[in-house]
Amino acid sequence: MNKLSENLLDKFSMDFLRNQVLKNAYGNDDTVIAGLDPRVLIAWYLFFGVVPWFVQDLPFLLGCFLLVMVTTLLARVAGLVLFLFAVGVFSQTGYLFLATLLFGGDASAVAPLLVLTLKVATISLASVTVFSGLDPDRLSNGLMWYGCPERLSFSISYAYRMLPMLMEEFQNVLLSYRLRGNPPAHDTLLGKVRYLIYQVRIVVESFYPLMLNTAKRSRTTVEALELRGYRYAAADKAVKKIRLSALKVTWNDLLFLALSALWTALAALCAALL
Amino acid sequence: MNAVEIDSLTYTYPGASQPTLNGISLRIEQGDFLAVVGNNGCGKSTLCKVLNGLIPHFITGQFEGAVRVEGQDTLESDVGALARKVGYVYQDFENQIVRPTVLDDASYACLNYALPDYRERGREALRQCGLEGREEEYVWQLSGGQTHLLALAGAVSLRPDVLILDEPIAQLDPMHADRIYEVLRALNEEQGKTIIVIEHHTEYIADYCKHVLLMKDGQVQWLLPTREALQRVEELEACNIFPPQVTQAAHRLRAMGVLPAGAPLPTTVEEGKRAFAALKLHPQGAAPAAERAGETAVSLKQVSLSYRSVKGEPRTIFDGLDLDIRRGERVALIGSNGAGKSTLMKLMVGLLKPKSGTVSLFGANIGEKRAEDLSRQISLVYQNPEEMFIKDSVRADIAYAMQVRGVPDWETRTDALLERFRLTGLQDRDGRLLSGGQMRRGSLAIGVALEPGILLLDEPTANLDIATRREILGVLEDMQDLIQTAVIATHDMQLVCQWAQRIIVLCGGKVVADGSRDEIFARPELAGQVGIRPPEIFTMARALNPDARCYTIDAFTRCFGEA
Repeated sequence: MNKLSENLLDKFSMDFLRNQVLKNAYGNDDTVIAGLDPRVLIAWYLFFGVVPWFVQDLPFLLGCFLLVMVTTLLARVAGLVLFLFAVGVFSQTGYLFLATLLFGGDASAVAPLLVLTLKVATISLASVTVFSGLDPDRLSNGLMWYGCPERLSFSISYAYRMLPMLMEEFQNVLLSYRLRGNPPAHDTLLGKVRYLIYQVRIVVESFYPLMLNTAKRSRTTVEALELRGYRYAAADKAVKKIRLSALKVTWNDLLFLALSALWTALAALCAALL
Repeated sequence: MNAVEIDSLTYTYPGASQPTLNGISLRIEQGDFLAVVGNNGCGKSTLCKVLNGLIPHFITGQFEGAVRVEGQDTLESDVGALARKVGYVYQDFENQIVRPTVLDDASYACLNYALPDYRERGREALRQCGLEGREEEYVWQLSGGQTHLLALAGAVSLRPDVLILDEPIAQLDPMHADRIYEVLRALNEEQGKTIIVIEHHTEYIADYCKHVLLMKDGQVQWLLPTREALQRVEELEACNIFPPQVTQAAHRLRAMGVLPAGAPLPTTVEEGKRAFAALKLHPQGAAPAAERAGETAVSLKQVSLSYRSVKGEPRTIFDGLDLDIRRGERVALIGSNGAGKSTLMKLMVGLLKPKSGTVSLFGANIGEKRAEDLSRQISLVYQNPEEMFIKDSVRADIAYAMQVRGVPDWETRTDALLERFRLTGLQDRDGRLLSGGQMRRGSLAIGVALEPGILLLDEPTANLDIATRREILGVLEDMQDLIQTAVIATHDMQLVCQWAQRIIVLCGGKVVADGSRDEIFARPELAGQVGIRPPEIFTMARALNPDARCYTIDAFTRCFGEA
């Protein structure tokens, strides 16, 4: 047991997190989903992110859910994201289910809960498909086409560029604490609690050096951005045009839309017949 | 025509009481390859930022005088227009890369200035900088040297006439450093670009630069052709610039009367062969072989380790590595960037766990030791001192480990450490805001606070100028009574030769050589294989006499100094 918990902790290290973030952003750029035009995908997402809220019909929701499950599989989303998704969705409804039973409900409460679960799951998976199936750059280009400000799209791709560096730095600061700190012994239950509190405190305290180090680094980045014309691009319409000219709708996009539409229509038909 | 013309420039940073640049007048010819040298804080970087218009357009302050780049007055221009004339590569170049993929970053500036052929320009710049074929790679897949080339490509893509590089090779191993300079030479000779480097590696200045500009206290001392400039040994040394070892040796021999009084000093090994041709080797007794007694301090048995990669198979760093380090040894760990030096050190302090195999400390497996016991036996000083500062003052940082362990009289011990590392006057400052050398001393003090028997140092002299490097070397010598066993990972071969008793050469996660400096540097094939290079003075002595073993200038003058 001890070995297992240590093993889990070991797996869930900063290194692992960093790897998963990178994998999520860039590790799947050769999938079918990643090859689609971001504008098409965002439009697709608007449908599957909004419509399920307003539909109560079980077969239709089930159909949508199956579809987004397939697209999520196609996007080869990183394990951590799927894990968080599962925990998020099922803890939410599982908790509701328990609450229902506790306050005198019975098994008949399952059906409405299932509808809610399907709604949340469909919308979440649709988001997961779009936001982690596309690499941040294509995503921000798509958003820009729909009129989002240049600064937002730059921020998205820059954040992804910075994240691995930040996490590595954070990891090193944490390691500094681990090398020099003196964690409480954790062989008793009380010790374990104290150890946990200690760990949380260290993580919080690590943010202070992390922020200062990042501030120090960003002095160069700010100057470099100025030299590399970031401010000029924001004011220049021609830049936006050049950047967006790379976007192209292909047969794959149309096929993807057609298949989605066909499947959704089929689900709606089933819902109407049943 | 002149690429740069500066007339009586005086500049004061906002809020500063003294001008950083004081009455500078200067002409830099088009097509020059110029090295700017000078003390820390003499205004080298400030001068370069004046050229690309960051000063006064982005960083304000008091600006007097005129600066013209390619005939364009920087006051009447803006940063954008100047950026296409002057490319700039920072010392901390990795912070200047803002895009995730290589081609994207190389063409980013061109896109921002709305040049329709931005991709083509990016590709061309990558080709010129030797990164062809890596267009689609992600920036974090690149090694340190490649990242630097990418930063350079990002600047080259705008096709500027002037390129400025701030300490381009400070973090690189000799092989990567050579590559950077070969690329710069090609840009200079084939494209006719004017190159300005801030550099304190005078060996590279002698090999590549055409002119040298010496700055002192915000003023230009002189601008001379390289050979002439490097002859001025006293003037340079007064500014903490150390001429190539060959030149220093010749200078000493001339003072001793071994070389004729008026003879010009050689600046490269080739010139040295002629200048020293008449000298005879007087073999000195070989240095006593370091005794390899002592118990085993650190032992790695069949250690394997791999990193997760974003795509595909995990990247294997070590596969069945065996290594023993004995008590009392002074070990240098060398090898090119990415050979696994830092990883090996992290394994030794237990920050990384091997996938298989064991790491043990004085015979006990470190996996079974408590972190508290471990940190009293072994300590690691990071390459990046900033990451060791976790408190808001140097004093608190040095005290931290002793304080949380309740070491008796930790306060007096902190005082003693501050005194020893000459940080008493700075004890209340935040470590991050100190100068490079002070930060390094601070991180060393933190590393030895618990008096570990074994100290691991990752690149203790990286990013430091030569004078500060000497200072750190002095500190290392001085720490001998505190530390029994020390391991240093470094590219700095002068440090290796002066300090280490045992040299371990890592290459691709394997120990390819292990022995004394005589054993390592006598094998020229190693240098080609792993990108290490003996100090220039050693190469010089060997060129004169294959039996010579001179690792320092002192040794060289002793061996060749008698008439």
